[in-house]
Amino acid sequence: MTSPASIRSPLALDAPPLLALEGLSIRFDMRDGQVHAVSDIDLSVKPGEVFALVGESGSGKSVTALSIMGLLPTPPAIVSGSIRFEGQDLTTLRNRAMSKIRGKEIGMVFQDPMSSLNPVHTVGKQIGESLRLHFGMNRRDAHGRAIELLDRVGIPDAASRASDHPHEFSGGMRQRAVIAMALACDPKLLIADEPTTALDVTVQSQIVQLIRDLQQERHMAVIWITHDLGVVAEIADRVAVMYGGRVMEQGSASDVYAATRHPYTSGLLRAIPGIDRSTATKLAEIPGTPTTIFAPLTACAFHHRCPMTEPGCTSSVPELMATDRPGHESSCIHHEELAAAGNIWLDDASTIQPDRSRSDDRVIVTVEDLKVHFPIRRRSGRARGTVRAVDGVNLEIHTGRTLGVVGESGCGKTTLGRTLVGLIEPTAGSIRVDGSDDDTHRTIQMIFQDPFSSMNPGMRVRDVIEEPLRILSMGSSGERESRVAELLEMVGLPTDAAERYPHEFSGGQRQRIAIARALAADPQVIVCDEPVSALDVSVQAQIVNLLRDIQDTHGLAFLFIAHDLAVVRHISDEVAVMYLGQIVERSSRDDLYREPLHPYTKALLAAVPVPDPSVSHSAAPLRGDLPSPSNPPSGCRFHTRCPVAVPGMCDTQPPPLLEVSSERWVACHLVGSDQPHKRPQTGGEQS
Amino acid sequence: MKRLDLSKLGQYVIVIIVAVTLNFALPRLMPGNPLALIAGVDVGLLTAEERAQIIEDVGLNEPILNQYADYWVSIATGDLGQSYRSGRPIKDIIAERLPWTLLLAGGALIISSFFGIILGAISAWRRGGKADVPLLTGMIALQSLPSFWLGMLLISVFAVNLGLLPSFGAISPAANYEGWEYFKDVLEHAILPIVTLSVLSTPGVYLTMRYSMLEVLGEDFIRTARAKGASERRVLFGHVTRNAIAPVVTFLAIRFAFSFGGAVIIETVFSYPGLGRLVFEAVSGRDFPVMQASFLVFTAAVLIANLIADLLYPILDPRTRAA
Repeated sequence: MTSPASIRSPLALDAPPLLALEGLSIRFDMRDGQVHAVSDIDLSVKPGEVFALVGESGSGKSVTALSIMGLLPTPPAIVSGSIRFEGQDLTTLRNRAMSKIRGKEIGMVFQDPMSSLNPVHTVGKQIGESLRLHFGMNRRDAHGRAIELLDRVGIPDAASRASDHPHEFSGGMRQRAVIAMALACDPKLLIADEPTTALDVTVQSQIVQLIRDLQQERHMAVIWITHDLGVVAEIADRVAVMYGGRVMEQGSASDVYAATRHPYTSGLLRAIPGIDRSTATKLAEIPGTPTTIFAPLTACAFHHRCPMTEPGCTSSVPELMATDRPGHESSCIHHEELAAAGNIWLDDASTIQPDRSRSDDRVIVTVEDLKVHFPIRRRSGRARGTVRAVDGVNLEIHTGRTLGVVGESGCGKTTLGRTLVGLIEPTAGSIRVDGSDDDTHRTIQMIFQDPFSSMNPGMRVRDVIEEPLRILSMGSSGERESRVAELLEMVGLPTDAAERYPHEFSGGQRQRIAIARALAADPQVIVCDEPVSALDVSVQAQIVNLLRDIQDTHGLAFLFIAHDLAVVRHISDEVAVMYLGQIVERSSRDDLYREPLHPYTKALLAAVPVPDPSVSHSAAPLRGDLPSPSNPPSGCRFHTRCPVAVPGMCDTQPPPLLEVSSERWVACHLVGSDQPHKRPQTGGEQS
Repeated sequence: MKRLDLSKLGQYVIVIIVAVTLNFALPRLMPGNPLALIAGVDVGLLTAEERAQIIEDVGLNEPILNQYADYWVSIATGDLGQSYRSGRPIKDIIAERLPWTLLLAGGALIISSFFGIILGAISAWRRGGKADVPLLTGMIALQSLPSFWLGMLLISVFAVNLGLLPSFGAISPAANYEGWEYFKDVLEHAILPIVTLSVLSTPGVYLTMRYSMLEVLGEDFIRTARAKGASERRVLFGHVTRNAIAPVVTFLAIRFAFSFGGAVIIETVFSYPGLGRLVFEAVSGRDFPVMQASFLVFTAAVLIANLIADLLYPILDPRTRAA
């Protein structure tokens, strides 16, 4: 066991740590072998600080959190080392003693607010449960306190909402309720495990702000577990970066971001398509994928993927070492070179990503006044309303170019994509595909979000890729076989992958298979529906770069749907912002990001977390959640959340989508109203 | 708000109409003379005058739509016709038999849900543990027992060999017990058939409960409850059970309705004077009017059981409440 990190950290000298993990290892003994989830880590959290644990899937961050709470199932989990909370070793406590600490001394917020509340109990009762358990409060007092807590976390009309069931709350509201529940007993430590990952960016910024406020108000320590370096920069005092069950680097947030001393951290930071970084170069890729550790480590966990690996990296497991900056530690034996050299993930000439010219493109898909409405059915099947998922959308897709579509979940972007491919029948309006009299399926193909569930697990990769060809009766079986080999090579997979099954591949590799499948029939347009959001950051960059390459070589048109504005910015030429089924702003990428015009676009951009702790963080730009698309607000649909809405105008008249300047369309009463040359976009106004 | 959805009620009405219409149409579609329905195999022995008389009596000479309308009227007024064999009103026969079947089916429902739910919960709570593996294997074995065999086995052990319990009937004939003695007599006669039915129903309840619990135990909100500091006991009773029980209730409702049909074999084995035995007697005696009426009662039982499940579900799972 190594000496605890806290002893070396000068910051820790003034206060004893609230929580200290010493030599913590967590192993899972499974039937078919061992998984070493966490290997001998030392971490400490001081009272009142926000400590971020950052890592990709399989890094061991969530397992670490669960072990602190004593929530790992044992067996199969085997925890060794110590977890000291206020000096007491939690690993030695029996379950009964541990349950007196859980919820009272340490509260926890989980990732998915949709599933982390019990559907059969009211929200108030679930919040009150902790109070009744730990403080022996009676039902009425607990209910009263639950209402106060709901009010504190920003639930409007808390007194009546406390009697509602979770399914009557929106996602953001549920996460607030979960936070209220975790804070009910005023814990000294709050563990937040990916608390904003399942939420929209606008709601995410509200939740980040809420937790930050609560943390300061109560002087509570927070362990914030996430894969998102952007959010971390907004909230963390100190950061530890984990990989393969080891701590790669830890230190103050500003040191880790600005004076990175580990190749993994710097690779991660460079792989993020920031909202303000140059789009002229490709994203830096970290080769390979995060792997599961099946045997005890004997080398640096990152050496497989590291550009600096040398024999010294594999001879032993490197421990955390002090760097040139106080309180900043790195486990890289090259940390001194890194301090001197700066960036090791060098951009070279081949990574230049040229901006595409518009001279030789042509319109391939024209969408006019497209409407897709779904009836809402009762359990009995009778309609009781209509969801206006897409409600009057006009757009054009050009060959060789990418149209990005962004918006919160529920804005209709996925429905739009699926309607284009023909998976959903439009209710009204037209989709014209230029120059193709044959099957639309051949011309427009789709890549789905989840590479795990979007592929039939019973089919070999070859059959998955070949299927579009067979459906469209293209080529002989020999031709199809060689086409599959060609496609696999194109997406960077070995040819022998054809005979294997999807479950043998990682998420990133599966998304490559999905790309190969989409390319098989030689389409002209590909609809990419959140193609990278289910992937790890280091893998995201690989897929984004691959998509760009394929687009350039094939002159493909992309409709790129995503909630991540930074990714959309990196890949798109033009961007459309959707709100409640309508496009509120559409313009070239650079214009939109440099100078957003619609208040909603402004709010979305302001909500994007910037992976730089030195940037000051404004208050959450938007309040509340997306209104229901079955009952959209009158007038401008955004007026209920708009900070500049003008009563009497915005809440009564729907603004048309007007071309306010060359190639810029905005649907807002307050934008371009003094422009003399405004004219409705071809294809009719939005209603 | 928790009123039953009107359109749901409409579905029940449709099922009733279809069932009654089928019941009306089937005998008329069957080959041969509909007379056979009333007179059974003896139809060939009747003289032409007797036939004409019966046709006249039952109204078979009227237009088909009138017959259909009359059929509805008679069902609505509770007139189910007369048994060809005994000549008694079928309404009276069913009224006499139904309580015995309800006693068996109800008793079995209570016993099998009690054991099924508790054992299923124990099994799932410690999945793969000391209790789970033998319970699971045992239940699957029980499920595959033929009901008549189990009934006969119980009779031979408890009635014949040990002589503890009566082997047939619902009450001791000609004993004329009253009060407590009567109750005891009824109970003694009901024990073996109820045990047989219960043993056959329990595995289904157990398996449904076990599966449903395992599903709920894997949910995120169970982890949330533990993170709140809830004890294992509280997690089990406060969070798991109520979520897990809803699918079991649906299963029980269906099971209850089907135990009416299952009673045919059990009641025959135990010579128990319930509806099932009535059906058996009607089939062996070609007493078509009685078979038809029993069919209607079975349909009604299925519908009522479903209705109860539909009414209970929103109470157990707030997500299914109409907004």
